[in-house]
Amino acid sequence: MSFARRLGKSFRREAAFLARNPWDLALLTWLPLVLCGLIAWQLSAGVVRDLPVALVDAERSALSRDIAIRIEGAPGLRLASTVTDMGEAEALARAGAVEAIVLVPPEATRRAFAGQGQITLYVNAAHSAASSTIQRDMAAIIAAANAREAVEQIAAVSPPGSVRPAPVKVTSVIAFNAPASQEQQLVSLLHPALLHILFMLAVVSAFGRELRDATVAAWQPDRAALAGKAALYVLAFMAWGAMMTAYLAGFRGWAMAGGPLLLMAGYFAMFAAYAGVSLLLLGLTRCMSQSLSLTGLYAGASFAFAGAIFPVDQASGFARVWAEVLPFTHFARLLAMDWITGAPAAAAAAPLMPLGLIAVVTAVPGMWLYLRAAERPQDWGRR
Amino acid sequence: MWAAFRAVFAAIFADRAAALLLFGAPILYAVLYPSAYSGELVVDAPVVVVDLDRSGASRDLVRRTASVSQVQLVASLTSAREAESWLAADKASAAVIIPEGYARAIAEGRSGEVMLVGSGAHLLRSSSALTGIGAALASTAREAAFDQARAAGPAAPPALNLVTRPLFNTREGYGAAVFPGVAFIIVHQSLLLGLALLAGTARERLGAPLSVTPAQFAGLGLAASTIAMAQVCWFAGFVFWWQDYPRGAAPLWQVLAGASLFVAATAALVLLLASLFRTRERPLQLGLGISLPLFFLSGLTWPAAATPQPLVWLARLFPTTPGLEVMVGLNQMGGTLADYAGALANLAVLALAFGALAFWKWTSPQPLRSPFLAGSRQAGA
Repeated sequence: MSFARRLGKSFRREAAFLARNPWDLALLTWLPLVLCGLIAWQLSAGVVRDLPVALVDAERSALSRDIAIRIEGAPGLRLASTVTDMGEAEALARAGAVEAIVLVPPEATRRAFAGQGQITLYVNAAHSAASSTIQRDMAAIIAAANAREAVEQIAAVSPPGSVRPAPVKVTSVIAFNAPASQEQQLVSLLHPALLHILFMLAVVSAFGRELRDATVAAWQPDRAALAGKAALYVLAFMAWGAMMTAYLAGFRGWAMAGGPLLLMAGYFAMFAAYAGVSLLLLGLTRCMSQSLSLTGLYAGASFAFAGAIFPVDQASGFARVWAEVLPFTHFARLLAMDWITGAPAAAAAAPLMPLGLIAVVTAVPGMWLYLRAAERPQDWGRR
Repeated sequence: MWAAFRAVFAAIFADRAAALLLFGAPILYAVLYPSAYSGELVVDAPVVVVDLDRSGASRDLVRRTASVSQVQLVASLTSAREAESWLAADKASAAVIIPEGYARAIAEGRSGEVMLVGSGAHLLRSSSALTGIGAALASTAREAAFDQARAAGPAAPPALNLVTRPLFNTREGYGAAVFPGVAFIIVHQSLLLGLALLAGTARERLGAPLSVTPAQFAGLGLAASTIAMAQVCWFAGFVFWWQDYPRGAAPLWQVLAGASLFVAATAALVLLLASLFRTRERPLQLGLGISLPLFFLSGLTWPAAATPQPLVWLARLFPTTPGLEVMVGLNQMGGTLADYAGALANLAVLALAFGALAFWKWTSPQPLRSPFLAGSRQAGA
């Protein structure tokens, strides 16, 4: 029998098994849909809006009323309550009723006339997405209040000619993601982060199950059969990758700067690498449950190490090495360049190399170990 | 009851996969996870600069930018287009562009314009680079004002100054903001996967739904709670201290009281789910993938205010959501139990509801002696 026919036979055998076993099928059907759907729905607001803010108004002046009105008008903020005491505001923040506290201290107006007015903004840094929105909006509010003060108040009491625009004017823009939407950045990364964990669980289960149930005896795998079985999962999860990309790039409108073909090549290379790692884990432990536990350890924290949200270049040497051996890190780099920044294809495709390398380095010994275990009945049935 | 309690531990020690999940994972994750954030603050984000003005003032601005701790100048480029290609290829997180005429505008009493461009590919990194550069520009602005003053007399200073302070997470590190919450997701997942694996194994051996006496059920619940509490103490008592995260803000008895409710609700849900599995490996297959959505639903990094309302309600069905609110609040924010009355009530309702369902599942149809206990006693002997 030719390689292609043995591959096809193994593919159909796996498909028939999944058709009979709904819980195994769940791992590549409704579970990815539910989990990716939850993330997509939760983050669909994208740009955080109407975050509740408490105003501590220790002055009760025209200035504090002006700031209150501007907070109400800011797109990202909502004035949830106005209190006179900082302790009261802190209690609201601890209870989660407000995300930030704006403090207008006593005598703020008098100090503002002297050019020394200070407004303090307390933000909850644990909510990094929310706190950056609040800081941006508050900076704009204070700049606007300053401009008004300069024109209406200070100009009246200052010598003529002394009210001038600030000497350096800074324009900040975010390239490639103009609304600084967290939806594009987070969802585009969280979907593959979920998919690669589910993929690895499905592949470890598919190959581990044959050893556990001693069905390798009937299957009699060779390299073609291994490829045929893995191909079904690679295809299924690439379909999910394509669907989630279509949702975000098409339906939600976060158009891709580069091309979808490169992204799909990235998905393919990432899944090939995780398939290699899965085989290696099984070849080493010859035990499905232990391989699944190790999968959790290996793939469970990839999102933290990918360097996409928090940069890992400043982390410890161990963390940097660990990040490099996780295929997801390289996929995240490819995704950022292909989807968000639109780098030239040569630069954006560069992460395919390490992905291919991980796939080869793990799949070659993994296949050898797995095929050896498949011929040794004493390695079957381990739990 | 104590026989069942001991049997659970005997079963864990006899099962390498269960021991890895229940005792190995909390230890490994306590090392692995914080290491990803060991940089804590963003320093040395790669930044490129485009100086089209080539004046003394613009060179001064470049020099100041280079001295900012969040910034590492990686290249000086000749056009904005070139800077864009550096950002696109992910070789830089931000670019500073000084247009021609910057120095002249300042000298003439107008505003010298500077453009900061952050990369949308890394919002956190580029925004901290921009914040750092912004601070450097403020000091430049003061000097520029001084230069202007010589020609045109002093300008009125801005009336109001905004000072931003972190509310609770006083170090403003990313790890310090995230890991104190992640730890409780780890506790939840470790307990769920470890105990469901044991229950699935026992049911597989029995070939029928597990059934225990009410006293045995109490023993199971106590064992589950003991393991979860030990993990909570490990993270909140040791790991937070070891990693030097903000911790111990509330009195110890309040932290323990909050932790007890989280542990009770988690153990109840875990026992309920554990009774549903018929195969040893199934909980790992289906349960490992939910950690990431659980973490996002908990509202630690994505505020509930920005989450669709139905999902906010759904999130309340998992002990991790109110659990993180209470534990992060007590440990890191310095709240008291009274501040979290709603979340504590949520945990209590979950503990009672899941506990009642679990009790019904485990003790019906008739209290047989479970081989889960018998089998594990043999294995443990």
